[in-house]
Amino acid sequence: MGILGLSKLIADIAPHAVKEMEIKNYFGRKVAIDASMSLYQFLIAVRSEGANLTSVDGETTSHLMGTFYRTIRLIENGIKPVYVFDGKPPEMKSHQLNKRAERREEAEKELQKATEAGDSASMEKFNRRLVKVTKQHGEEARELLKLMGIPVVEAPCEAEAQCAALVKAGKVYAVATEDMDALTFGADVLLRHLTFSEARKMPVQEFHLNQVLDGLELNHNEFIDLCILLGCDYCGSIRGIGPKRAIELIKQHRSIEQVLKNIDTNKYQPPENWAYEDARRLFLNPEISDEKDIELKWSDPDEEGLVKFLCGDKQFNEDRVRNGAKKLMKARTGTTQGRLDGFFKVLSTTPNPKRKAEQEKMKANKKTKVGGGRGRKPK
Amino acid sequence: MFEARLLRSSILKKVLEAIKDLLTQATFDCDDNGIQLQAMDNSHVSLVSLTLRADGFDKYRCDRNISMGMNLGSMSKILKCAGDKDTVTMKAQDNADTVTFVFESPNQEKVSDYEMKLMNLDLEHLGIPETEYSCTIRMPSAEFARICRDLSQFGESMVISCTKEGVKFSASGDIGSANIKLAQTASIDKEEEAVVIEMDEPVTLTFACQYLNFFTKATSLSPQVQLSMSADVPLVVEYRIPDIGQIRYYLAPKIEEDDN
Repeated sequence: MGILGLSKLIADIAPHAVKEMEIKNYFGRKVAIDASMSLYQFLIAVRSEGANLTSVDGETTSHLMGTFYRTIRLIENGIKPVYVFDGKPPEMKSHQLNKRAERREEAEKELQKATEAGDSASMEKFNRRLVKVTKQHGEEARELLKLMGIPVVEAPCEAEAQCAALVKAGKVYAVATEDMDALTFGADVLLRHLTFSEARKMPVQEFHLNQVLDGLELNHNEFIDLCILLGCDYCGSIRGIGPKRAIELIKQHRSIEQVLKNIDTNKYQPPENWAYEDARRLFLNPEISDEKDIELKWSDPDEEGLVKFLCGDKQFNEDRVRNGAKKLMKARTGTTQGRLDGFFKVLSTTPNPKRKAEQEKMKANKKTKVGGGRGRKPK
Repeated sequence: MFEARLLRSSILKKVLEAIKDLLTQATFDCDDNGIQLQAMDNSHVSLVSLTLRADGFDKYRCDRNISMGMNLGSMSKILKCAGDKDTVTMKAQDNADTVTFVFESPNQEKVSDYEMKLMNLDLEHLGIPETEYSCTIRMPSAEFARICRDLSQFGESMVISCTKEGVKFSASGDIGSANIKLAQTASIDKEEEAVVIEMDEPVTLTFACQYLNFFTKATSLSPQVQLSMSADVPLVVEYRIPDIGQIRYYLAPKIEEDDN
């Protein structure tokens, strides 16, 4: 999923590019949310006593619970969310998807074993591994969002790519997903942990693409090559080259072609028929719908519709649903707080010279001590 | 070497009270002319701009320009240790990573010093364009604080509208609505108690009460406050600190939803 180890690499090398923010700082911002990612999160996280919440006939409703309450939380904080749904997966992802299917089968076997042994802790663990976002989950979530008055965008292919396109076109401020490849697709701002539950008190991580590129000293094409080397969803990567080697190699040689020419391919074997060029093309020109055709419109929630949809069979509490609808309604009336950014221009942001000196020192230390400075958290 | 000495610590204490709710950390830029601080709150809705002129200090020395990033919570804790009548001296070496506060009691019998670690903050300088404001209102600062406090009970936002009749503050919410009108003072006996309105064009703007209530924490610094407004630009709330400088707050207005 996403790019292997990219967030850690950024945190290590370009800690400046990551900011931790509170959710309330995003009032008035439009944010594109990767729907399948968040549905998956909800299916995993929204549970009671280890089992998904279900309707009377045993259909899962965790995703609806999550979508409903967490969307309300975003809206109460003044954020305007847009949910972007995946279309068909790109052909190049089939390999990755097969792998996932294999892993699922394995988990299923393990689950059976655990059930026979009556080991409830591992039963729960493997149960969670079996979680899959189905078509039906998606359909239900779409219907719910429509009733809530939240716009939904159908991506022709990968949702992250469509989200990135929306950011680039200035239609939204940022992409909210946990997958780092939204950056690879060229989204200027990526938010992580935005749809997490309030109880976890997790700050929102904000990544800025231009600061990431500055910090890594790469341009966007080189960054894409770096991501392919780290390991993306669309093709394999070279065995034996981890994040550290990958960034070093790209910095030195500037492209995968040059890297291949300059490394010992016997020692580091690239995968057979390595389709890195296709992956690169996919990151640069993903299949997306034209942002001009996309109109984002937030509308009033349909309270009666929500009650009809969620209560009854799906066993939501009517009072809480009505209450939620009122909150949605309340957020629509009134004015939005402006920001000073529009009025005053930032003249210069100079990173503190002292810190720069410290970083230089750190770098020097790293070279002498292998593995030093690992896991350093950004401020 | 940087050294700045104030005969009364109360000014510095009050300045800190006036900014620490808005900002958690800030950079104090010190040069020959004095100390400057400029910072936005986290959500970039308001900006604080503080100036303390060198001539307002009892003693002021700044050999090399120095920027000191401070955690305002910690600084406030330290200043709470000073008596109101104590003399306060801020000291730092060139390129230091700490700053020292020295408090001396009036009779010189008690001297305490506190050292605080500095923070490595990014220096972000904002260009604030010179603006001719359509309306400026001068009024007693306590009056303004009272109005903000009273109206924030009615709603999250407050409408300030300035016309030639005077200035009107209003708020509405679940419990009802509130309006406070102030007219220009007819005859000015005491300048500090006067309401003075200069107006070229009427202006009506909406602001978040929460932020205005943060600003009025500066009330004790100055008997008068000045509000400057123009359509669609940030409000300026200025408190002049007698003999030493001023503190200015900028606040972005609330805007009507444009699309849907």
